[in-house]
Amino acid sequence: MAEVHVIGQIMGASGFSESSLFCKWGIHTGAAWKLLSGVREGQTQVDTPQIGDMAYWSHPIDLHFATKGLQGWPRLHFQVWSQDSFGRCQLAGYGFCHVPSSPGTHQLACPTWRPLGSWREQLARAFVGGGPQLLHGDTIYSGADRYRLHTAAGGTVHLEISLLLRNFDRYGVEC
Amino acid sequence: MATASPSVFLLMVNGQVESAQFPEYDDLYCKYCFVYGQDWAPTAGLEEGISQITSKSQDVRQALVWNFPIDVTFKSTNPYGWPQIVLSVYGPDVFGNDVVRGYGAVHVPFSPGRHKRTIPMFVPESTSKLQKFTSWFMGRRPEYTDPKVVAQGEGREALQKAVFSVHGFTSPRPALVHIKGT
Repeated sequence: MAEVHVIGQIMGASGFSESSLFCKWGIHTGAAWKLLSGVREGQTQVDTPQIGDMAYWSHPIDLHFATKGLQGWPRLHFQVWSQDSFGRCQLAGYGFCHVPSSPGTHQLACPTWRPLGSWREQLARAFVGGGPQLLHGDTIYSGADRYRLHTAAGGTVHLEISLLLRNFDRYGVEC
Repeated sequence: MATASPSVFLLMVNGQVESAQFPEYDDLYCKYCFVYGQDWAPTAGLEEGISQITSKSQDVRQALVWNFPIDVTFKSTNPYGWPQIVLSVYGPDVFGNDVVRGYGAVHVPFSPGRHKRTIPMFVPESTSKLQKFTSWFMGRRPEYTDPKVVAQGEGREALQKAVFSVHGFTSPRPALVHIKGT
């Protein structure tokens, strides 16, 4: 079986209009992939930018997969939320990016988007908070049914991911 | 010719905690330690250390320089649990107590060669304003009992409501060599 190590950090996020951000992240793989070690999803701490607008999480990611096929190459997906001083959480953006397929260290910048509702919901969000959220999280990383959505841009999630591949040449895969 | 035993590899990390930028604080020292998975073990060198106390330079750079050496070698059979270096920076507050000024963690680089890493540091913060005032006044700020929690992925949402971003940067500069065993 070929093995893939995904090791790195979710460094932080920039470009969001809200402060006090945290991120829920997860990794989605196809049926041929098996997670040998590591946690498949997690949530960062809340961070408030002090200098500039970048919120830093430095959240470590360490995953070890074994796979029998290339289909369903891992995708990292994110939900960025903001938390106010009362402890209420509001969605700031959804985003996903594929894990790189070449070994080495990569800097990734993942753009995010959030669903816009009707003009009434947008007004309510501006005053009271809240706003529409996705019912099914898999829309974040899948293309099906996206045409139904009307969205606005959020900020960018920054990651540094390193990839170590093992035994791929045994299966005739060049990387 | 398949070998039944797993291959052991060594990871040698040489470098230094070079300097930091903390615009608001002065007279700081740092502590480093390594967090690694179960398949890893240090074979040589020191895996923890405390630096000297440094003051800001008088010139325009306002640099806090430690130039603190890091020299450690790990051995492992599995890349899972790749070592992370955890840095904690401490300094005196207005009343002279030693308080934590920042925690940060980064993975040791994955490829041989010269690397420079700049790490953002963060500090736990109380959520209630009263507690923030009393902790400032008493000099007893929220602190992690074990700084290694900063290097873990699980349970960080419990650090929620407790983090505040102080932008200090420290630069460890490891050069590393991979040696593959039999």
